[in-house]
Amino acid sequence: MTRPFLAAAILAIAPVAATAQSLTLFASGEDLATEGFNSPKLTRDGWALEFTRILATFDHITAWQSDPPFMGDGPEIAGAALSIPGPFTVDLVNADDADRVALATVEATEGHYNALSWALVPATRGDAEGFSLIFEGVARKDGQEVAFTLRSTDAVMHACGEYMGDERKGFVTSGGAADLEITLHLDHLFGRADKGGDDEMNRDALGFDAFAAGGTHDFSLVGLHVGHVGEGHCHDTLL
Amino acid sequence: MTRCSRLVAACVLAVLCAPHVALSHAALIEAETTQAIRLHAFYETGEPMAQAQVIIFAPDNPALVWGQGLTDLQGRFDFIPDAQMGRWSVQVRQAGHGAMAHVEMGTMDPVVITSAGGPQNWTQRAIMIALVAWGALGTALWAAGNRNRADASS
Repeated sequence: MTRPFLAAAILAIAPVAATAQSLTLFASGEDLATEGFNSPKLTRDGWALEFTRILATFDHITAWQSDPPFMGDGPEIAGAALSIPGPFTVDLVNADDADRVALATVEATEGHYNALSWALVPATRGDAEGFSLIFEGVARKDGQEVAFTLRSTDAVMHACGEYMGDERKGFVTSGGAADLEITLHLDHLFGRADKGGDDEMNRDALGFDAFAAGGTHDFSLVGLHVGHVGEGHCHDTLL
Repeated sequence: MTRCSRLVAACVLAVLCAPHVALSHAALIEAETTQAIRLHAFYETGEPMAQAQVIIFAPDNPALVWGQGLTDLQGRFDFIPDAQMGRWSVQVRQAGHGAMAHVEMGTMDPVVITSAGGPQNWTQRAIMIALVAWGALGTALWAAGNRNRADASS
């Protein structure tokens, strides 16, 4: 009796599985996470950074179909919501060839997911417990080499518009799959030497001189606007 | 082949080839006036997004690039949408930052949806995309409209 029941169950499930539509969410620190800050892309104060781990924790994630499209210009998104249960703590250095780490794949209804809300939150367990973002690695400048751990406890909510990159993302079609990406722009934290001292980003970025003694330091994410969706912008709010 | 027959053959060849050669080098210009959209992309500081990458998506297949090009030095970009009604989407990207505008094409004049609020600070690099013209933009655009859509700029 068991085998026929199983066979019937598989037959019943198979069409659903074959036609299931899905949305996969990735996180990325781009090549600055996987390859580090190397010349000419040094930090704004001239340090080369090599990361061994970048632990980021994400939660409160929702993909949205918004119409009119949400433009990332405020904290509230209206539309059809698809919740992606978290939290997820991932190492952005241990990424795929496209510098991405998969967080989750969920079933999704057809449509264009053109907005994404998510939060960087302190992890509640594991190596990152108590911190939303941790950088571990080695910094080098003028023959000096220092090992560092930089940590933030800040929780920051992001309301983002459409992903922007080399391809347009988020289109879930009948039986098809699509993806979205949370992107952390690390140059907003450390600045970029190749942008020049007058570049506005470099005026606010932390750089690395403040951490040059090595060891463990805490930092704040306030005002740095690290969170993006590809090149697309987010409105962020400190929680 | 005798000298005479070679001459005749050469004349026949010239007659056969001349029209083709002439036509293949003809520069025929037709001009017409058409409706076109002119967008202006600039940073919140008012600085134009000069020479920024522009990518256009049409309503019928919004995941597929319909056309692309570069803004001019003033951050302006013109394109001629085809007859499709609906939402045209335009991305403007530069130096790792970008913005998107949506142009609703209907029976009325087009309406542009773009970021309504200002940036939280400079790091947002907010880009405003404004519709600055919808009307007769002349013959140069006609030529642009008939080029390969891989370069849809004027």
